[in-house]
Amino acid sequence: MQRHALPARFDPLPAGTVPIVPTPGYPGTFTHTPSQPPIRRPPGRGEIAGPIALHRKLPCGEANLAEPSPGRPALGQLIHLAGQVLDEDGRPVADAVVELWQANAAGRYAHANDVRDAPLDPNFRGHGRVRTDAEGRYGFFTIRPGAYPVPGAAVWWRPPHIHFSVLGPSSLARLVTQMFFPGDPLNPLDHIFMAVPDTAARDRLLARPLPPAEVGAGWLGYRHDIVLRGRQATPPLA
Amino acid sequence: MGGAVIPLSCHTIGPFFPHPFVQEGDNDLTRIAPDAPPSRRGSRIRLQGRVLREGGLPCVNAVVEAWQADAAGRFRHPADPGWQEADPEFLGWGRAVTDAEGRYEFHTLLPGGFLDRAPHVNLLVMASGLMRPVSTTLFFPGFSEANAADPVLGLLPAARRPLLVATEDGSGGFRFDILLRGPASEETPFFED
Ligand SMILES: [Fe+3]
Repeated sequence: MQRHALPARFDPLPAGTVPIVPTPGYPGTFTHTPSQPPIRRPPGRGEIAGPIALHRKLPCGEANLAEPSPGRPALGQLIHLAGQVLDEDGRPVADAVVELWQANAAGRYAHANDVRDAPLDPNFRGHGRVRTDAEGRYGFFTIRPGAYPVPGAAVWWRPPHIHFSVLGPSSLARLVTQMFFPGDPLNPLDHIFMAVPDTAARDRLLARPLPPAEVGAGWLGYRHDIVLRGRQATPPLA
Repeated sequence: MGGAVIPLSCHTIGPFFPHPFVQEGDNDLTRIAPDAPPSRRGSRIRLQGRVLREGGLPCVNAVVEAWQADAAGRFRHPADPGWQEADPEFLGWGRAVTDAEGRYEFHTLLPGGFLDRAPHVNLLVMASGLMRPVSTTLFFPGFSEANAADPVLGLLPAARRPLLVATEDGSGGFRFDILLRGPASEETPFFED
């Protein structure tokens, strides 16, 4: 319990950082987005609280997606992807559970619902889960995913992207997001990426490439920091 | 510590949320770990229902996360001044994924009320086509007085309040369907915190 500092304040998300819904060009949002506006609720005890030590419920430690068996790396560009989970004051969030999933180098998910005929890669895992350390750090060894066409949509290709799900110290800090790669020509054509109106907010969804000299041989390095809602953490309780 | 920073934007989980992320027992709120004994401090209940989109069609591979107080109305979290008295064997959190019919199921203990709050379970729904996760709250039948006084239920127009009250499923459990989009008289009310 002592490691869990509690954010004392939850500000509304800044305008332009939340995706527009329903989302132009994304038909599914027109059948799934509630038609009624959400009801503003002053956060109470239950909303501010959240499960403690969730890494016991959700076992963590799957950080290697790209070489699940030694000496048999996945196809594609190997990358090391790391960053920090932070609150809105820039304080590290320790013991957050970070889940990640993505397509393989051919743009195919190892998921029963992905019925596209692109090849599966037996040496690529496609999902991982880790727990942040005392400095809020997480890291995964994976590959740059391939682009894929959205099933059922006219001509819409998702750019290479990595899905993130982060469970922090408070229900209000729960985040599900996607990370993109800078400079990909499909980014400005993606209805999901472009659903976020604010340019600076979209830029924050881009991984930052590290100079290869800082990373070492064998793979490329990217940094992606994840900022959760909440600020003014109270001192940890003993 | 840097200066103030801005939270990342949210996005849909898409259609491919990995099945290995939802293991058997993850929908059991009474266990703090897969191999931990379930808490017995309270009455065991089952919550079940469907996640539906416009037209009452099922949402497949949607993720529902439940969060609630223990049977005495306490959270084992510093946000609760009484957290040290909270049930140490009760997690209060669970995750379920919907099947082809949109069905989800949780196993838990009937939560206690606290302060002016009636017994309730907070539910977060994430799905393909849902760019912002949605939050709702399940209340229980049989607590009409507490429900009538609950300040969160009271934020709704009276006609929409019954939409947040689960129904008895006839086998000791409760049923709560979540309609993401539909006529205002049927659509599940959602909250923004
Ligand atoms: Fe995807």
